[in-house]
Parts: sequence; structure tokens; C-alpha cells
Amino acid sequence: MSGPLQRQTARVRSDGTHEGFLRHASFRWLKIAGGISLIALLGYMMIDVQPRHNGGSWYGYTLGTIGVLLILWLSMLGVRKRKMSRGHWSLKAWTSAHVYLGLSLVVIGTLHTGFQLGWNVHTLAYVLMLLVILSGIWGIIAYTNLPRLMSANRDQTTEAQMLASLRSIDRQLHDAAQPLGQEHAALVQASLDQDPFGGGIGRRLSNRYPGCMTRYAHEQILQVTGSQPRVDDDPLEKVDSLLGRKRAILARTRKHLQLKALLEIWLYIHVPMTFALIAALIAHIVSVFFYW
Amino acid sequence: MSFLVRQISRTSDGREIVRAYPFDAREIFVGREAACQIHLADLAVELRHAKLTLLDNGRLEVVSVGGLGFDIDGAKSLQAVVDPAAGAELRFGSHLLTVSTDGPVVVVAAERVEAVSDAIQDKDETGLFTLKGILPGRRVTAWALSLIILLALLIWPIQTYYHYQGVKKRPDSFHADSLWSSGSLSSAHAGLKMDCQSCHTEAFVAVRDTSCVACHKSVHDHADPKRLLLARAPLAWDAKLSRTVADQFNRPEGRCVECHTEHEGAGAMPPTPQKFCSSCHGDLDTRLTDTKIANAGDFSNAHPQFKPMIITSLDGPVKKERISLDMKPKEDGGLKFPHNVHLSRTNGVARMAGRLGGQFGFGQALQCKDCHTKTADGVRFLPVDMERNCSMCHSLGIERIGDTVRTLRHGDPKMVVADLRAFYRSGGPYVSRAQPIMQGRRRPGNYAQSRPYFAYFGSINYARADAAIRSVFSKGGACYDCHTVFTPPAGSDNWQVQKVHQSARYMMKGWFDHGAHKTESCSSCHAAKQSGTAADLLLPGIKTCRNCHGGEASKADIPSSCAMCHSYHADDGAPWVPKFDPTRKRERMSDISRTGKAPG
Repeated sequence: MSGPLQRQTARVRSDGTHEGFLRHASFRWLKIAGGISLIALLGYMMIDVQPRHNGGSWYGYTLGTIGVLLILWLSMLGVRKRKMSRGHWSLKAWTSAHVYLGLSLVVIGTLHTGFQLGWNVHTLAYVLMLLVILSGIWGIIAYTNLPRLMSANRDQTTEAQMLASLRSIDRQLHDAAQPLGQEHAALVQASLDQDPFGGGIGRRLSNRYPGCMTRYAHEQILQVTGSQPRVDDDPLEKVDSLLGRKRAILARTRKHLQLKALLEIWLYIHVPMTFALIAALIAHIVSVFFYW
Repeated sequence: MSFLVRQISRTSDGREIVRAYPFDAREIFVGREAACQIHLADLAVELRHAKLTLLDNGRLEVVSVGGLGFDIDGAKSLQAVVDPAAGAELRFGSHLLTVSTDGPVVVVAAERVEAVSDAIQDKDETGLFTLKGILPGRRVTAWALSLIILLALLIWPIQTYYHYQGVKKRPDSFHADSLWSSGSLSSAHAGLKMDCQSCHTEAFVAVRDTSCVACHKSVHDHADPKRLLLARAPLAWDAKLSRTVADQFNRPEGRCVECHTEHEGAGAMPPTPQKFCSSCHGDLDTRLTDTKIANAGDFSNAHPQFKPMIITSLDGPVKKERISLDMKPKEDGGLKFPHNVHLSRTNGVARMAGRLGGQFGFGQALQCKDCHTKTADGVRFLPVDMERNCSMCHSLGIERIGDTVRTLRHGDPKMVVADLRAFYRSGGPYVSRAQPIMQGRRRPGNYAQSRPYFAYFGSINYARADAAIRSVFSKGGACYDCHTVFTPPAGSDNWQVQKVHQSARYMMKGWFDHGAHKTESCSSCHAAKQSGTAADLLLPGIKTCRNCHGGEASKADIPSSCAMCHSYHADDGAPWVPKFDPTRKRERMSDISRTGKAPG
């Protein structure tokens, strides 16, 4: 994990209290970004652009220039976070500015469009910008809420321990199932063969695994064991209880995978979309001057 | 003949441990059951899976017992015969059995080649719990998206531009540079939406007027360009700044597109805003000190009184002059005509209209439309024409022959004289029968037999044509009632009638469309009922217009910018206006369409 929040947790003030990047310097960047947005909005309402507001009026060009400079600066966070510095331009200050100025882009960018949208390169740039910002907002929400849920779910176990317990239960299952008839052995084998980390992004995010072979095997074997008297050394009983344990381990692991996916997914949108946005901005700006 | 089974397993550091079990038998079993000679702890293997039998010819037969089968040299099989000397590989579940010989002994080596479970396999533990491998890498996605966008939305359109350089019209299909269009073109230019180069002729050069005049060949300048520059209001600081920036970016001022903005969405082009006019015309006289044009700004409060073009002299060539309505000008067009008499609802005219109504479509009294005919476009009215608009009542008949009424020729005094002389030369019916020329009115207002008001010759029974001719041109005669007559010297027949001039258009600098004012009655603007003489100019002043019209930003029923009546590229036609004027208030328009009357 390499998000800004994780890094900032290491930074604790001298009085021992922790101040996150959102609250940095008593919301300095929230105030600055809010001020910029307000000025842009007031300007939009008070300046009479004829025949109507659009990106091509003087006000539109001004907002567009501010917007593109902001976008380029915001995208520099990726470079900046790989370097260390302290004080006003500490990474926390930088991240705080990144978040709030990034949010103010919604106002600046939208006013720049003059609400004239269409199927063209200009609107594409706008939509990509919104995607980047929305994914960023998701990132903040995820970083503020998910780590707590993750540690509650992990309950002191590490990822290595999760993997180890999965392997251990598999080995035990394998051994316990040796005396079983082929029908039941095949069920256990299917559980063993299934990749606990498999399934696409949809499975990861939704934590739904309708094709889970462990659950299927367990349910099938339960139908047999559930209706017969319990015998201590019945291998099927042993497999039954082992499958039950494997299901519990899988549930925790998969919950962990889901939370982690929710925590990571925004960066898979935020970063590539930023690059796509910069490409679209190049096309947008060149096209405007090419045909103007 | 016997078997040697080698069970191979590996320690965690990969070292091989081999356990060998000799069996002196012709057949052995492969299975998960501990009793099997080749015991495979593999859940994919049946308890008793297959039987290996040594045949007499030294070959080895492998037969599936439980029916699950096995792989032999990569192919699935239930039964196979192999030559142990040649060697073979048999696959049961996750185990590989390698068959070979050691002298007479058949050696079967069994080794697990797959992990017990998927989880136990070697996995890249660092990325196992992350989205790595689930989603394409961020870097790859970033560069791929960027590349696609640059190719599709930058390189392709540029290629299209260069491909169609100099082409007048592109083929009807999609062209990539249309992806650059910032909005739909107005309906007037909608046909050009794929022909970007028809306006954007040069790369990185803002659209020039040459592109516009390539099609709009007849558009002319508003005024002498030098005077236009003089008339311009000095720029405010912000306009100066934006001018300076525009100059830096090679956007010269005064281009057509500054007013005629495009890519603002489908539909009509937006109307030119008032300030484009008022910035110069609001205080024009301060800069163009010799101008004859009065200052004009907002219609509500900064527009001068109308100055219609009025006939000022009929002597010689007709003279016309623009005179302000504030001067209460009169206009003599050469006709005598009291509107009030004709529009009365009670007098003889009304009664006559009532009687003739069935024949000519009149009501109980005359209305404006009974005499005034609209032009085809509905903008104005045709000049009043004697034959068409007056003769229903004002007949010039002199004689009835069978069903036909002989009339004097209107508009040709010489012919009138000639006709009357011919009439008398032929004897004149009244001489023998002591009858009037026709049984008809004697005087206007004295109507009998519901007949039109015929040419009147004063007292009847002229013995001679001379008297009849003098009578028709003199006071009380048919011509004299409506026209100014120039009496010839005694003994001459050269009677002359003043030619009548009617103005079809008074507002020469502005455009007034009667058709657009259908919701109003004539009398709401023209005080014809009170007018006793044709010299009254029945034009409404600006005050009347302001009942409904106000400036662009006013609260009037119809906010009206300059362009509603005035054209920048002034010509004889109507000023250009969009079909739907967004400055008009929607609800008011719907009021008008519902009630047929403008509110207020």
C-alpha cells in the first residue's frame, strides 16, 4: 500500500496528536480552493458574455488556462510523492492542496464548458477530468474508511498468515479425503483445485463467488453427514468439518480481498485517466487553435 | 518377470527422496487405496484406478478399473499396451508414472508433479492480495489510452484537414475533424458540418471574412469603413486588454464572426445583441460630429421619434423628405379622401355598404380591408386603386346598354372629354327622352334604388357636351370630388387632374411588418376614424410602439433589440432575425397564440 494516507499516518505532530491531510493547516487549501471556485462562479454570473458563455469567450479562455495549469500541477503529485521535503511543501501540504484544488476544478472546468457539451474532443476532456476527480473523491473516502474495516476483518492476522492457513487447510483436506470414495474425493479435489484468489475484478469488488467449489463440496457432503449418526473416525465427518473451516478462512480472505480492491481500484482509474486527460487536453487545445 | 515401484517425493528444498518397492507379480494396481502396489495419495485418483499387467510378449497392458481413465503420452485413454523397454509416461491425477526397464524388471517411477492444491502452488505472494494481475497495469493503461486519444482525436483530424485541402465539398460521410466541432452549426450552415475547411481554410488562422464572402457575395459593409472606425466607442480597459490578447493571437477585429457566432448549437443563429449597435450609435454624434443620424440606443428610452419619408411637393418631380412625426407633418398625395366619412357606422356610406354588402363582401359599414389590399408578403398594402378599391360605389357609368354599363375612362381626362363628346354627337338619349344620363344618384348621399353612385354631371339635361364636360370636372362633379382638377382656359378642352402619389413605405431606415402585427387591429395604431382629410398622416409615433415594444433588456411585453427593425447590412429586404427570438418571453408568446391578442 502506498497511498498518501498511509504515509501521513507516520507523521505525528510534536504534541502527539495526528493531523490528516484533509485538516492540514486548519483547512488552508479548502479555503483557498473554495475562494477560487467562488470567484470563478461569481465571475461567470456577473460577466455578460455574448451571445452566451462558452469556452471561446475571453472568460472561457481564462478559466481554461487556469484549469489546464491546475491539471498539470495536480498531476505532478505523482512525481512529487517520490521525493522527500518538509515544511510548507511537505507531502502532506502538497496532498492537501492536491485534493482541494482538484475539487475546485469541477467548478472551473464546468464553467469553462459554458454547459455546452457534445460528442467531441472537448467534452471528452471534460468527462475524463470528472472521472479523475470522482475517482480521487472515492480514493479519499476509501482511505478514510476502509483501513478500519480491513483491520477489523483481519483480526490480527497478516496476509502471509491468511495464505499459510489456506495452504494448511488444503493439505489437511487432501490427507483427510484419501479414504473417501471417488465421488466425494472429486468434490474435495475441486475445492483444492480452485484458485482462492481467482475471479475477475467483479468478484473482487462484489465479494460474490457463486461458483465457489468449497461451498459446493461442503453442501454436498453435508447432505450425507447431516442425515447419519456421528461416528468419530468417519473420514467424511472429518472432511466435512475441514471444509467448514476452509469456508470460514475463505470468507475472511475474500472480504480482505474485497476491501483491498475497493482501496486500490481508484488508483487504477485515477492514474491512467490522468494520462488520458492530458492527452485529450493536448488534442483539445491544439484543435481549438488549429480551427479557430 | 516382476515390477519395481519407485515412489519419488521431494523435500522442501527440492531434494529427491526415492523409495523402491519390488513386487514379484504379473499384475499390480494403481490407486489411492493403501493396498494398491502403486499407492498414489491423490484425490483425482480412484481408490483402485488401474491395473498394470505384464503380457507374455514382454509388453505392459494398462487398463482402467474404475472407469476414470489416464493419460498416456499426453492422450486420454482407458486401455493401452506399452513397450516397457521403449518407455512410456502415464498420468494419473497429479501423478506421473514413468515406465522403463531394468533388465527383466519393469520399473515404474511415481512422482507427484502438481501441488496438492492451487493455494499451495508457488504464488507471487507480494501481489497476491492486490489487483495486480486482475486489472491491466496502470502504466500500460495510461499509455494505451493516451495513444488512442492522440491518434483518434489529434492525428486523424489533422490528417483529414490536409487530405481535403482545396476541396470545395467533401464526400457525404463522417470526417474525423468533425470531432473537433465545439457545437452544432446553426440551421443556416448545417449543411457545412462535415466541410470544416469551408470556413477554417488555414490551420492556426482564425476564420477570416474571405470564407464568409465566398458564399455571401452580395453582403455589403454597414458604412464607409473609415467612418465606421471613427464611430466606434473607445474601448474600456477590459476590452482593450482582450483586444491586445486577440492581436497577439492573430485575431483581427471587425470580422463577420464576431457578430455572427457559430457552433452555438443547432437552430437559428443567435440574434445580434443590442450593444453591438448601441456602443456606436448610442452617442454617435460625439465622434461623428457631422452625422445626420440621430443617436439611438435602447428602444424604451433612447430611440428618436420616427422620421417617415413624406411627399413634400407635387410640383414637377415629386419631392420626398424624412420628417419627424413630432413635427406633425401633413402629406398631400393629390387625393381628396376623408377616412372618417368612409368609416362611419351611421352615415350614408355605411348604409350603402350595407346594401352592397352581399355583392362585395362588406359588413354593415366599411372597414379598412374593404379598400386596402395587402401585399403578397403581408408586409405592406398595395396602393389604393380606383377600379379595384373605389369603383364598387364610385362608378363612372354614363349609360346602360342592355346589361352593360358604359363608363368614363379613369385616369385619362382627355379620353373622358372625347367619350362625352362622342356621346353627345350620337344624340344623347336624354335629349329625345328627357332622361338623365342614367337613372342614378344625383349627389353623394342621395341614394336610391341601391345603385352605385354614378358619375354626376350636376344638373341633368345638358343640351351640349361642353356643359357636361365642365360639370364632370367641376365642384360637385365625379372627378372633382376626389381629385384636384386644373381648369383649362375658356374654350379649351385641356382639363388636367393632379396625379395621385401613394407611398408604399414610409419607414425607410427601419422595417415594419404589418404581418407581424396581426394580433392588433388597424385602429389601435392608425387613427383613421378621426381623420377628415387625406393629408392627415395616419402613422403612429414611437409612443404607440412602446405600448408593446421595449429595449432588449426591458420588461416590455416584447423586448426588442435593434435588429428586430434594423439591419446591419441594410438593404431593401427585412432585417435578418432568427425564427425564434430567445429574448422574447415564452409565456407571453403562448398568451398571444391562445387569445390572439397581446396582453396589456
